[in-house]
Amino acid sequence: MPDPDRGAPPEKGHLSPDDIAEFKRRASELGTQIDSVQAEKQAEIEEQQDRANRSRGMAYGLRMSTELVAAILVGGFIGYMLDTWLGTLPWLSLVFIMLGFSAGVLNILRTFKRMQSEIEAEKGFHVGKSVSDDDDR
Amino acid sequence: MPDPIYQFEVKRLIPLDVFGIDATFTNSALFMVAGVLLSFGLLMYASRGRSLVPSRLQSVAESIYEFVAGMVRDSMGEQGMKFFPLIFTFFMFILTLNMLGMVPGFFTVTSQLWVTAALALMVFVIVIVVGFAKNGLGFLRLFVPEGVPIYVLPLVSLIEVISFFSRPLSHSLRLFANMLAGHITLKVFAGFIIMLLGAGGAASAIAPLPLLAVLGITALEFLVAFLQAYVFTMLTCMYLNDALHPGH
Repeated sequence: MPDPDRGAPPEKGHLSPDDIAEFKRRASELGTQIDSVQAEKQAEIEEQQDRANRSRGMAYGLRMSTELVAAILVGGFIGYMLDTWLGTLPWLSLVFIMLGFSAGVLNILRTFKRMQSEIEAEKGFHVGKSVSDDDDR
Repeated sequence: MPDPIYQFEVKRLIPLDVFGIDATFTNSALFMVAGVLLSFGLLMYASRGRSLVPSRLQSVAESIYEFVAGMVRDSMGEQGMKFFPLIFTFFMFILTLNMLGMVPGFFTVTSQLWVTAALALMVFVIVIVVGFAKNGLGFLRLFVPEGVPIYVLPLVSLIEVISFFSRPLSHSLRLFANMLAGHITLKVFAGFIIMLLGAGGAASAIAPLPLLAVLGITALEFLVAFLQAYVFTMLTCMYLNDALHPGH
């Protein structure tokens, strides 16, 4: 049964120039349609990833601030305890506050390193080192 | 102005004295029980069907499971799944309590330092116990980083020890401070609306401004409530990973 919508079936192996033009038009139309759908989906996916990254960035930010404060507090507390025990107030407190500060910075550096390796594993490049940006163009 | 701190007041509901220990049932305890029952009931109800094509509630429960399982596998590997029940419980407990706290008039249990401190200390003790049970004295390698020259080693070890002991503090402070600060901010901004409306005249005209702020802060607080549960759980995974592999 010939389909009335499709026009007359071509002769064996023969296409008229009109048919060829029609095929080409339809193919390119389909191509642009697929492209636009893909672009739309791509933007959607990228936006989702962006949102996930942003909230992860916020999670890391919230972590780092307390990391430093807690380490200084613990350092100061240990120093003060040693001071009251040995009767050397305020010297060990001062030393241990400095040590606590170093511990805090160390914690922050470790968190950052972890974050870096996470992003590296995900995107396949290293942040903080030769990432091309607007300046490079 | 309504007192923004009033919402954190622990009230005695049923006074109880167990052999000289004050075990009063407070509103804090009430909401903890409510949180446990809610999360338990919800998960049990969601997983009752166990159908291959999940219902809406079942897929929520499944995605929470996948989320926590992914977090555990990422940070500890497959052998970390032994701790999955513990970590999942922590996550559900904190998430439910944080979200319950977002309901107006409800008590926010996680804004009490002693609750978060108890949770953090639990993690701290578990890490130490697991660390020594798995590695024996090798757990102390945690304080001796590799490739450090011997003459600065005492100093570096001391810093590592302080860093280790700062963990429960930062672990508990973060959750507590974020929940406390968020709820106080909400209350203060909400108080502005009432104050402006009460002032009358031109002041009443700008009363919608703090209302908009409250709207935005509420959305942010929901995000923070989730993020804090996530951060707490992720750090628990990281610390447990240190206990399993001390020399990294």
